[in-house]
Amino acid sequence: MSERWRWESWPLRTKLLLLTASISTLGILLVCTSLVVVENRTSEEQLESELHVIAGILAEQSAAALLFEDSQQLNTVISSLDQIETIEQVCVYNVAGEVMSAMNGAGYEPCPSLDVEPAVGFVGDYYRLLEPVMLDGDIVGRFYLMSRLEVLREHIWTFIVISFSVGVGIQVLLIWVASRLQRLVSEPIVELSNAADRISHEHDYSIRVPVYGKDELGSLGSTFNEMIGTIQQQNRKILQSKDDLERTVAERTSELSLANRELEAFSFSVSHDLRQPLRAIEGFGQALEEDCRDQLNDIGLDYLGRIRAATVRMGSLIDGMLVLSRVSRQAMEVERVNLSIMLGEIVQELQDTTDAVPSEVTIQPNMHVVGDERMLRIAFQNLLENAWKYTSKNEKRAIDVSACEKSNSITIALKDNGVGFDMKYVDKLFVAFNRLHTPAQFSGTGLGLATVDRVVRRHFGRIYAESTVDTGACFYVEFPRPERGPESGLQHQATRQNWREYG
Amino acid sequence: MAKGDCSILVVEDNPDDQILTMRALRKASSHSPIILQEDGQSALDFLFGTESSKCSPQVDSIGVILLDLKLPKVSGLEVLRRIRSAPQTDWLPVVMMTSTDEPNELREAYRLGANSFVTKQIDYSKFSEQMCLLARYWLTVNQVPMIGSFRSSRKGSAGE
Repeated sequence: MSERWRWESWPLRTKLLLLTASISTLGILLVCTSLVVVENRTSEEQLESELHVIAGILAEQSAAALLFEDSQQLNTVISSLDQIETIEQVCVYNVAGEVMSAMNGAGYEPCPSLDVEPAVGFVGDYYRLLEPVMLDGDIVGRFYLMSRLEVLREHIWTFIVISFSVGVGIQVLLIWVASRLQRLVSEPIVELSNAADRISHEHDYSIRVPVYGKDELGSLGSTFNEMIGTIQQQNRKILQSKDDLERTVAERTSELSLANRELEAFSFSVSHDLRQPLRAIEGFGQALEEDCRDQLNDIGLDYLGRIRAATVRMGSLIDGMLVLSRVSRQAMEVERVNLSIMLGEIVQELQDTTDAVPSEVTIQPNMHVVGDERMLRIAFQNLLENAWKYTSKNEKRAIDVSACEKSNSITIALKDNGVGFDMKYVDKLFVAFNRLHTPAQFSGTGLGLATVDRVVRRHFGRIYAESTVDTGACFYVEFPRPERGPESGLQHQATRQNWREYG
Repeated sequence: MAKGDCSILVVEDNPDDQILTMRALRKASSHSPIILQEDGQSALDFLFGTESSKCSPQVDSIGVILLDLKLPKVSGLEVLRRIRSAPQTDWLPVVMMTSTDEPNELREAYRLGANSFVTKQIDYSKFSEQMCLLARYWLTVNQVPMIGSFRSSRKGSAGE
């Protein structure tokens, strides 16, 4: 495994070099070996034929001597072989196989007996031959010759040394040439790899690789360059659009904050500047009524009463609009709110300050939601005031507030036994300035439920209602579960959404 | 009670509001002197005197200041800040009067040391009731420290 890993981690250059070197080594080795083998064979064959020629000549010369069994003559014949150092032993046998003449090198065994056919050919360090001596077609004896092979062996060794030295030389030359040539292949790849590395680390898309030629490597290089060019271009575009986007966001943000400031100034102006003249109208109306009552007739007093009532009504419209605008733009402070306690307080207040209709109010204990306490108070104050108002003509008032919890939401149901409304007009219920009753029936600004709706929406909830005329109404306020409630990020979104609605 | 003789300083720029406030206050407390200043600067001049006379002796006789929030030249909150930062006036009860109930202004007024914050009601009978309650509370119920010879000699038994 580690071997493999090592091979994989080797640089391409080394791999290529190793590949070339091993192939050339194998080739040179094969060539050298075959040369040596051929040379060895040739040398042996040459030696063999030489010795056979010598043996043939001598056998011919010794044929007559053998016939006459003239040892003297035979010794003379074979002594001529003394000149050849490598010839170790020469024996001449007669037809009966007796040694007629012999020439032995120092320390060598006597001539072999012919009773057993002696081994001939290349055996060990010697070459042996046994030739029949012929005379007129008859065998007259035998000629035995044993030659040392050391000269042959030395020659072969020399040949091996020389050929392998040449082989090594050629190998070195080949490796040098290969190391030059492999660069043609490896250099573009290495450059490509280095460039890819730098681009991926430094994110510098201006880097290009040089393109060599028009082969696959060349086209790889130019394709790589084109690819990086495309990326560079796309990057530039992305950065450009990111800048544009940031600029747009900054512009929009400043526009929004300007609008925010304007709206704040507007609502301050509405709350201060519009209320002041109203107060004056109402105040002087009352002063007129009190101080100059004698000078006004009944019609005058009636008109004055209407002026004052209209003024107060306009005042409450302005107040309602201000509350609606405030719940829309006010930053939310989210916390866990005990609705049951809050509703109890509101009901207590209503019971203390309004009509004397006997009331039975049930509020489920421990209803909790996550949200902005002040906004929720405004919303539920409105809902309870509505319930109170539309039950004010009842003989007995019954209001029930309960919660229904689901896995991802909690729904607060606020049920009363008041006059209710026609479901035909349910769409108009939560739209600002839309009323389902005349001021003569029930007073109101038409802003209360719009405000409730805004508060609930800012809590990512929803409000809906069910009713039948004269039996009562039920308002359902659904909040998402606390853990999925308003978060800072979503809150921003919600605020912006509100701005869009208002803008 | 002698304390009823303390004056009410009204700082109000709008002529209509001036008339309506004065009318309501007179009905509520007929014998208390009512001093009217029409803007923030004149109120400051009245309280701290002009260049020549550094301190106005009349400060000691003031039982309560009804200070409108929105005033020309020097705003109501600035007047309040100046009153609270000077040792001769920092004790004065100040009731901020305003048409709005903006939470930010409310908080700022209390932060600067307002004693009370009243939103003027559009319904004049309710407004008159507010004035009546204010006059009764600040002039008859509330107790202020005795400062200067005028106050101590005039109402020696006020605290008992």
